[in-house]
Amino acid sequence: MTRPPAKGTRRVTRLALLTTIALTIFMAEAQLPVLVPIQGVKLGLANIVTVYAVFVLGPGDALLILCARVFLGAVFSGQMMTLLYSLGGGLLAWLVMTGLRKLLTKEQLWLCSPVAAIFHNLGQLLVAAGIMKTWVVMAYLPYLVLSGIITGLFTGLCAQYFIQRMEKLRL
Amino acid sequence: MNQNTKIILALLALAASASAAALLIPKEGSRHPVAHITLDGELVQEIDLDRVGTAYSFQLTGASGLTNTILVEPGRIRVLESDCPDQICVRQGAIADGTVPIVCLPNRLVIEIVGGGEVFDAATG
Amino acid sequence: MKRIFFRRLTGLAVAAAVCLSLAACQRQTEVKTQIFAMDTVMSITLYGTDQKACEEALNQAVDRIYALEALLSVTRTGSEIYAVNHAGGEWTRLSPDTAALLEGALALCDLTGGALDVTAYPAVRAWGFTTGEHRIPSSAELAQLAARIDYTQVEQNEDNSSVRLPQDMELDLGSVAKGYVGDCLVQLLESFDGVDGALLDLGQSTIQALGPRSDGTPWRIGIQDPAGEGYLGVLELSGKAMGTSGGYQRYFEEDGVRYWHILDPATAAPARAGLAAVAVAGPSGLVCDGLSTALFVMGLNQASSLISELSRSGYEAIFLMDDGSVALTPGMESSFTLAKGYEDREVTVLP
Repeated sequence: MTRPPAKGTRRVTRLALLTTIALTIFMAEAQLPVLVPIQGVKLGLANIVTVYAVFVLGPGDALLILCARVFLGAVFSGQMMTLLYSLGGGLLAWLVMTGLRKLLTKEQLWLCSPVAAIFHNLGQLLVAAGIMKTWVVMAYLPYLVLSGIITGLFTGLCAQYFIQRMEKLRL
Repeated sequence: MNQNTKIILALLALAASASAAALLIPKEGSRHPVAHITLDGELVQEIDLDRVGTAYSFQLTGASGLTNTILVEPGRIRVLESDCPDQICVRQGAIADGTVPIVCLPNRLVIEIVGGGEVFDAATG
Repeated sequence: MKRIFFRRLTGLAVAAAVCLSLAACQRQTEVKTQIFAMDTVMSITLYGTDQKACEEALNQAVDRIYALEALLSVTRTGSEIYAVNHAGGEWTRLSPDTAALLEGALALCDLTGGALDVTAYPAVRAWGFTTGEHRIPSSAELAQLAARIDYTQVEQNEDNSSVRLPQDMELDLGSVAKGYVGDCLVQLLESFDGVDGALLDLGQSTIQALGPRSDGTPWRIGIQDPAGEGYLGVLELSGKAMGTSGGYQRYFEEDGVRYWHILDPATAAPARAGLAAVAVAGPSGLVCDGLSTALFVMGLNQASSLISELSRSGYEAIFLMDDGSVALTPGMESSFTLAKGYEDREVTVLP
């Protein structure tokens, strides 16, 4: 595994590149028709980048990319509302992944992803519950846990291949 | 495959089965559905869906300025139209029991069905 | 490593599929029907995991009801009861069902000291309840009628397969028949493996539950307010029978006075012991049916000592008084709740 540069233009370039990738994936996914009419059930493809970042670049940089992507995503899609939900979900997921990073290696990324997806959804639900001032939305939790596991496994696999590709590029 | 991986896999499997089980528990409100409509956390309407004869619709506008058109039918309720950008609430369709609520996040609208009211399986005469 | 990974993924997927399909197999199915029998509307609801078994069970249950009706009806000329009443004092053979019902009924008459008496039919007819042409018999006539109400005169042979009674007396098992039907139906339904539970509404005054509702909660039975149109309370019933007797069920009014069809065997006149209705819940439909009538006739004081003895066998009662207050046996407290709007009713729990 190539050691990421601690500072310098190399680092900034890397961060910018990953943010762009995450943002593009996010915007593209937003264009897809919503499969299931339940809040938050989506592929969450942009999480690939976050997962990769946490494991390869470290939690700090991953957080930077996450915040940048969430903010820009909200601005570009024209809905500031989603900022809160994405941030809530993203932060909780990032927190959990940072913890998992100590327990798992890069080879077990695929396992980290479903866990992150579950907590991303949970975070979104908590934000929704807070804003709507009711716990009723938690009724969606079972659906989101199941979809999170399925989509998380998918993005986890993608992330693994993503890493292999990135390493071949020797970035 | 180290210890941690096994633990996490087990936890994931547990979460999956717990969720599946939770989905299979029969939810309340299926016998006598009463819909609670909350806007911004405040209960604005309570509709006894069993007492609905002919379907009717009405509009609710939230603090966000967005309007939802709600359709009430005998035994079920749905969001017919909405100004919100995602239209998730509209696409969800009707609910007839308390399994999941209809939520329109941008409008802070929640339609929830609770089991309520006096309904009997039989009655003395 | 990839091989291990995919194997694990498959394992998870298989586990999930198994869980979900197992759950799907347990899907409950419900069948119900409504028929007119024994002079009333009866509703039967069954549920279980086997659709075919439930439908078959339902059909057999309906057949059983009609068969019993044919045996027990007091008005139908072909019924066994009719035969007994027109045998001119001679012995009449009874089929096992009728014999069992009669035995149970007579035992109840004994137990209630005659408050329940199955020979009150001529008196009920004299008041016009059977034809709808209501009238008030004179006190002389009532005395005569009362003299002919005496269950002890009903004779059964050694193996209870035959019965006879004096010529001027008539038998009517209407006060216990529906409860007996309920017991028979429960027995029938229990023999079907694919039937998990049922609610038998046999004309509203007789209701019996086989198990709880399909979601595990008890069946909710509304208790009608004798004085009005609404329901003053809810009784939770699970795996038990219940019988209700009340003056409000069938009566006529003359000069501002109400005369109902539940007669006091001692006077051959409507029983006025201060109760508007009594509901009894317990293991046997026959007993609940008969007891509710007997307790209504007895009045609260006499009834409470009898029912507290019977609570050991699982029988509980709700007494709705003339003045609107409610009395419950201790075991009934947990299953009975007052309805919305009736919370101010006085509820006493008997010792």
